[in-house]
Amino acid sequence: MKKLYFVMAALIVASLVLAACGGGAASGGDAIKVGEVTDLGGIDDKSFNANGWAGAQKAAEELGVEAKYLESTQQSDYAKNIQQFLDEDTNLIVTVGFLLGVDTATAAKANPETHFAIVDYAYPDCFDPAEEGKSCGSTTELPNVLGLTFQIDQAGFLAGYAAAGSTQTGKVATFGGINIPPVNAFMIGYEKGVMYYNEENGTAVEVLGWNTEANDGSFTGNFDSLDDGRSFAESFVQEGADIIMPVAGPVGLGSAAYCQESGACKIIGVDVDWTVSSPEYTDVILTSVLKNINVAVYDAIKAEVDGTFAGGIYVGTLANGGVGLSDVAGASDELKAGLDAVKQGIIDGTIATK
Amino acid sequence: MKISNREISSETEKRQRISFGVTLLVVGLLIYLIFGLNTQANALATFGLNLSGSQALKVPDLVVPSLAGVYAMAILAVFAGAYQLARGVRATGWLIGIIAFTFVVAFLLWAVQDKSFSLTGMLSSTVVRATPIVLAALCGVISERSAVINIGIEGIMLMAAQTAVITATVSGNLYVGLFFAIVMGGLVAALHAYLVIRFKVDQTVSSVAINIFGAGATAFISSRFMQRAGDMLNNSGTFPIISIPVLSKIPVLGPVLFENNLIVYLTIVLVIAMHILLYYTPWGLRTRAVGEHPKAADTLGINVYLMRYVNVILGGMIAGLGGAYFTIGSVGRFDEAMTAGKGFIGLAAMIFGNWNPIGAYTSSLIFGFADSLQVKLQILRIPIPSEFLLMAPYIVTMIILTGVVGRAVPPAADGQPYEK
Repeated sequence: MKKLYFVMAALIVASLVLAACGGGAASGGDAIKVGEVTDLGGIDDKSFNANGWAGAQKAAEELGVEAKYLESTQQSDYAKNIQQFLDEDTNLIVTVGFLLGVDTATAAKANPETHFAIVDYAYPDCFDPAEEGKSCGSTTELPNVLGLTFQIDQAGFLAGYAAAGSTQTGKVATFGGINIPPVNAFMIGYEKGVMYYNEENGTAVEVLGWNTEANDGSFTGNFDSLDDGRSFAESFVQEGADIIMPVAGPVGLGSAAYCQESGACKIIGVDVDWTVSSPEYTDVILTSVLKNINVAVYDAIKAEVDGTFAGGIYVGTLANGGVGLSDVAGASDELKAGLDAVKQGIIDGTIATK
Repeated sequence: MKISNREISSETEKRQRISFGVTLLVVGLLIYLIFGLNTQANALATFGLNLSGSQALKVPDLVVPSLAGVYAMAILAVFAGAYQLARGVRATGWLIGIIAFTFVVAFLLWAVQDKSFSLTGMLSSTVVRATPIVLAALCGVISERSAVINIGIEGIMLMAAQTAVITATVSGNLYVGLFFAIVMGGLVAALHAYLVIRFKVDQTVSSVAINIFGAGATAFISSRFMQRAGDMLNNSGTFPIISIPVLSKIPVLGPVLFENNLIVYLTIVLVIAMHILLYYTPWGLRTRAVGEHPKAADTLGINVYLMRYVNVILGGMIAGLGGAYFTIGSVGRFDEAMTAGKGFIGLAAMIFGNWNPIGAYTSSLIFGFADSLQVKLQILRIPIPSEFLLMAPYIVTMIILTGVVGRAVPPAADGQPYEK
């Protein structure tokens, strides 16, 4: 009897190890150590966690750093995973995602010698000191944290323009995982882009699933359930949409599967180029909104290696290539020209994307 | 003073009559206040009845004047309430049905005013969305009917989902995937059964271990092998939609019930089969006896351990089918944690369904309905925050089922190991 409990305990520990056991190129003794803490989607979300890891892997290959990752399976894992990297004397901890904002700040303040880079977040984020450490991370800028932010609404705007220019039914759709700023940013730009296309071309393309005025839209409530992605896509198609931009990590792959099966819709990928990350869906991918987290993470690691790491904020834009739109499948020359003009307008600042 | 049983029962009946009557009146009033006052006078609500790409005969869309419809629902509720107060109807199921029906219809008429949405699409998605939940619930029902708690359904489904997609992709045959998913489910459940029956390990601890192990092992296999091999391991395709001849031509009902994939049909068959097995066969009687009073069953010569082994393993195989739904029945690929808690919702459905298959299916359908309604409402942009809409499936399921089922009664020996 007692032994059995022991076996159970061993089993649980073994599986925890399996779950947490990251890949990672271990190299020599005193190499710079880089640790990535993922958000809930997991390292293989083919989206922002994977993309951040791609940057770290590239750094491991080219700069000889020792890169590891820890996956968070629930929100209470964030602080634990950060602590584990701290215990291992990691030089640079990359936390991927908005939801890690508070835990990262808490850890950064307690460990001023360790450098942090956080994706989709920047400090100060507190405007009520009483809440510091609870609902927000810090009232001041943190000298050892680099916030990697992206003006993704710029790329979302291009995607909306491309969607409006490609739709057959006059309705385009989008949905998100959770209603948080880095997710909404895609959708805000998308809606704006569609509206801009309508103004330019006298069309009346409608956006389903997001309304900037109400600051609300369609959300699955998670970043895991591909079945939800399928069901949302099906619903959008029933309501007449034929282009869908899922901003929910792997959930969007469920939508892509539905589009491929039904042939009734096209998908706009997010974060990475989906024709590369999920080539099996190439035939239903219209284009992808690129958020080049890998480049930003790589640059942060490079700065760490060169000894030039500084806290502050990095902003990825269309102008510096931090964000972008991949090639639009089947775009007419007219649409291509329009996209180029819009891109130039955004870079010049003549077109507002928010 | 002596009070006869008869008087007591008439007393409770009277109380119930009044409380139902008052509830109906309040619902009528609420419908008027919440929806009636906020609906525009000339607005029309359009409910789409046709699905593109379906076999069903085309019918015109249902167009209803919103305000008149809302008033009709309010009046219906008030009349039913008044009738109930005056006369009293014993059929509580009907009364709850009227409360739910009038409220939901009024809500829809209000939400859809001046807009349109696909009613058939929502109903069809209800049946599909309920499928994995009811399979999880059936696994729970069959295990717990023989007094073995299994909350490891989530883990079993995850492992089966992964097994299904890998075997189906490698063999190029979806049926092979389905077979191995079911075998996988059975194997994991057999391990659970062995631990809790042979060694009397705490049933909750053992099944929690299965959940944690399932999440860890699948994540490991996924990131170590499936990510690298890509298409070679993780691109199985899905079971095609099978249209049942003639029946699928019926408008609305056809696309909802008779144009689904294999796993959805299997689920419906399983629900009916399980109901018959549990309540109309000697095997079912023995199972229930083992769950209610194992000692008595043992005295009568029933092999308690054998019954428990068989039931738990059968349950695992059903959960395995549920796991297969997520990959080869829905999206044709595996990703970490993709069951997203459906196994646990299935357990809730089992409890709300009072540990019987039909009840479990009903509660799964209510959940599926609220879930697909919620998706539609988000698209319609009604002035309710999406966070609240996302809660709707859980809240609705709880309210309706606690009302209908009242107190759920688990099998008497549930969770207790049996010692001779």
